[in-house]
Amino acid sequence: MERRRYGSRRQRKKQRTWLKKCKEYIRQLVAFLFSNVGIIGLVVGYTIAGSFIFMTIEGRHVQKMKLEVLGNRSLYAQKLWNITMQLNAKVMTKEEFHRRITEELFQYQRIVVNFTRRGYDGTDELNCTAQWSFAGAFLYSLTVITTIGYGNIFPHTPVGKITTIVYAIVGMPLFLLYLSNIGDIMARSFKWIYANCCLCRWCPGVAKRRAMRRIRREQKMSQAVGSDEEGGSSSKTSSDVNIPVPDSGPRDSMVSDNLTAYTEESYDVQTVTVPLTICLMIMVGYICGGALLFCKWENHWTFLDASYFSFISLSTIGFGDLVPGDKIYGRGIDFYSEVLELSFVFCSIYLMLGMALIAMCFNLMQGLRTLLEHGLSLDLDPRKNCWFRLRILGSLLISSDRIAESTEKSIELAQTEKLDSTTLYCPKCEILQKCDAY
Amino acid sequence: MSRYNRGDADGYYEQPSFCSNFLHYSWKTITCLFSHITLVTMVVSYCVLGAFTFEALEVDNEKQVKRGIPKIRENVTQHLWNFTQEMTALREENFTIGAIKYLKSFESALLNAMTKDGWDGIEDEHKVQWTLTGSLFYSIIVITTIGYGHIAPKTPWGKVVTIFYAILGIPLMLLCLSNIGDIMATSFRFLYWRVCCYFCTKRPKKLKRGRSTYRGSERLTRSRTVSARRSVRASARSGDSGIYSDVLQHSYHSDTELRYYEDPSRRSTSVPRVRPNKYNRTTGYATPRNLSQNPNQLRVNSLAQPRVPNSLDRRNRDVAIEMDPIVLDNTPILCNKYVIGKGEGFARTIPGKGLTLRQMEHQSRATSLPASGRSKSMPRSQNYLEPPEIHSPESSDKEDFEPQSSRIRGKRASRGRRSKSPMPMGPPKMMTPLGYGHRSKYLDDPESDTDYYDDDYYESGRSTIKPVPIGLCVLLVVSYILAGAYLFMTWEGWEYLDAAYFCFITLTTIGFGDLVPAKGVSQDGYYATISIALCSLYLLFGISLLAMSFNLVQEEVISNVKSVAKTLGIIKSDSDDEDEDD
Repeated sequence: MERRRYGSRRQRKKQRTWLKKCKEYIRQLVAFLFSNVGIIGLVVGYTIAGSFIFMTIEGRHVQKMKLEVLGNRSLYAQKLWNITMQLNAKVMTKEEFHRRITEELFQYQRIVVNFTRRGYDGTDELNCTAQWSFAGAFLYSLTVITTIGYGNIFPHTPVGKITTIVYAIVGMPLFLLYLSNIGDIMARSFKWIYANCCLCRWCPGVAKRRAMRRIRREQKMSQAVGSDEEGGSSSKTSSDVNIPVPDSGPRDSMVSDNLTAYTEESYDVQTVTVPLTICLMIMVGYICGGALLFCKWENHWTFLDASYFSFISLSTIGFGDLVPGDKIYGRGIDFYSEVLELSFVFCSIYLMLGMALIAMCFNLMQGLRTLLEHGLSLDLDPRKNCWFRLRILGSLLISSDRIAESTEKSIELAQTEKLDSTTLYCPKCEILQKCDAY
Repeated sequence: MSRYNRGDADGYYEQPSFCSNFLHYSWKTITCLFSHITLVTMVVSYCVLGAFTFEALEVDNEKQVKRGIPKIRENVTQHLWNFTQEMTALREENFTIGAIKYLKSFESALLNAMTKDGWDGIEDEHKVQWTLTGSLFYSIIVITTIGYGHIAPKTPWGKVVTIFYAILGIPLMLLCLSNIGDIMATSFRFLYWRVCCYFCTKRPKKLKRGRSTYRGSERLTRSRTVSARRSVRASARSGDSGIYSDVLQHSYHSDTELRYYEDPSRRSTSVPRVRPNKYNRTTGYATPRNLSQNPNQLRVNSLAQPRVPNSLDRRNRDVAIEMDPIVLDNTPILCNKYVIGKGEGFARTIPGKGLTLRQMEHQSRATSLPASGRSKSMPRSQNYLEPPEIHSPESSDKEDFEPQSSRIRGKRASRGRRSKSPMPMGPPKMMTPLGYGHRSKYLDDPESDTDYYDDDYYESGRSTIKPVPIGLCVLLVVSYILAGAYLFMTWEGWEYLDAAYFCFITLTTIGFGDLVPAKGVSQDGYYATISIALCSLYLLFGISLLAMSFNLVQEEVISNVKSVAKTLGIIKSDSDDEDEDD
């Protein structure tokens, strides 16, 4: 009994360890897949898988439709021939011919319109299922999970529709995850670049000056607060404030003392607030750059068309009236499939990058957003409120680091209610002016 | 504008009579409603404006395109005529080959007209797509980012205007939808817990009845303390992101809360440490505002209206807070970070200032000096939900009436045991069929003593975030899609699958545009108008429904995903999973 139990236990143990190993591997795999690098691969892999699925499902249908179109065309050619023969038997006048032919063409036009609505793309070649080629299906899958949904190609078969629904349900959260992950990484790296390059945190001179400025500002702020706390007579407070810091001498020493502290205190790069304008500029720049590229790539597109396309795509509206690969109509097949594939791939890359960039911008704006919420959630005296909100909006729009800082500080002050309602307006103005004066 | 009004309304705090208070809250609700209404009207007027603009910009172009179509046909005919004339001998093979060539070119010309110039396939100049309704639909489609693309601007000006229209309109629409979704979420939660879960709330009622037996004997000492506590708690509770149903269990809660105060050891040790965290985290986004308000409210409440804060009052306040438009449209997560950081600062200031008068009153009656001494010594560390001074009379109460009814005592004893023991013995899932078991998971505090706290806390009617089960929300959305599919099937004559597919594609804002209402059917003006109106109503309501269900489900899903991620060892940054569900 005992032994058996032991044996079974050992077996179980073995199994368990094996299972554990398995579990561990799976866990690591999953962890990797959802990590920052893995998520890109996951999204791309999901899209590729989707493109294969849709290719197989929808490719056949397109062939069928093309056959129908070809049949219809030859049918109408036959009809035209019949008409001509009929007319030829009599006396063939131009008017009669025109009338009959136009009637037939009108019929034919209706049919063509119907086919176009059902997704006919104007190519005859049966082998070239250009729309549901790999690149096309890839773009389609991407537009599904990004909810852009151009609609230049769409599933026709019931199976394809159901697959699309399921695919979207799984894919959209995945893509959102990708966005947040990549956006986070990009925001971090961008902040780093911004802090080190644009703000010149590296150069010692700039840092020094910055620290000086900051110290001075803080002093001013504290002075203003002090005067508020004193309340009552302003003359008294001014004298009070002036007494401890009368001359430049001691003040300078103080500044220099603090300076070392400030410069040594390495700036936490991630706390830098990137101004809103820069985010906007990035977005606009990306759209314009994309527009230029598309402009070159697609022959018929003007710059306006291309930027319109970029905007509509990146805002996930996705009309689909302009889609890369437009120039294909009326071109030869060899040329066309290659170019189409390339342009689809290019468009996909552009979209994935652009969405990540948007996510990055939103991520960057969050610091400002917390500031905004923070300020707006304050429930103060209406005048004060108004003032605060104006300032916060200003800091969002003008969006320099220091205004944001000073606003934050004044909010803090307001929260701790060091400033009471009587001394609202003037000291605030002063603080703002002082801050702006630098 | 409405913000301003609210600011003005704060002035009412200075005249704290019941009437003015009532006025204040009604005023607040009105302003909130008004701001919601203004938001909606803004969106609507924006849409109408867009409709007029786009109609003016695009109609001429479309008419021109339509005029061009017969010319294309004419051209082809001319070509064919020339072709026939040039042929020396009419032979079928030659003719068909040529005809097919011309037909092909005709086809591609038509295709071009349809895809490039936005021709809808109908030549009648009176049946344009860019009618007023059509352009209204178009502007809705743009600002909801659905983008069917069945009509799209073709003129340069139309494109430029669309870009700017979208830049302004999309955030506006998002704001509006999230607001509506929030309102719907609150009302749905209310409906669910009030109506559907009537049976679940029955048990607490039984309890209440049981308690009322001893309450009668107790009335004198009790009523005072209770009312006082209520006033305190009402003001403090206003920090909750209020739920009406907590009014339901009002008296019951007060009883259980009483229990807290009776337990001095626990209060002194675990409470100040645990509460602020938990409170802030669970109350979510409504907190920062309320916290900042609290000093005012507390002062007013405790001074001038000791017994007034009844359920109606509180409810009003909760409504007002809940509907706050500024706070609401934000995601809760962001604010929470801030709350955890700074909220404690607020919390600290509150009890010391606001409660002292009341406390003194009580203590003078109860004459428990050590308690008051303690309250003075550590007012800063106390939390606002835990006015320590009130406890003293109650503890004496407890000793008094405990022998009275054995049933109650048993309950109490068990409670007391649970609350004192570090390990929670089977958390009391009182009115929680589904929710609270999960809820304790949200607060991933490793400390064991916080657990019973949660449970007690929920029991005590902190029904604030009563989660609605995920399944129900999913069911709601799915049934909405299926119902919509049925509707469109009957109205548009699509197949059921097609209609369901259309609904899904629309509500997820993918918007392929292969199926669009009032397209492809012979277009009667009246008919088209109605179906467009139907579709836009459907999609607007549907999107706000989606927003609602996200709102309801969000937290639970996030926590679930997080726990899954934790078990998988993925968890690194919390933001990933949050964003997944936004």
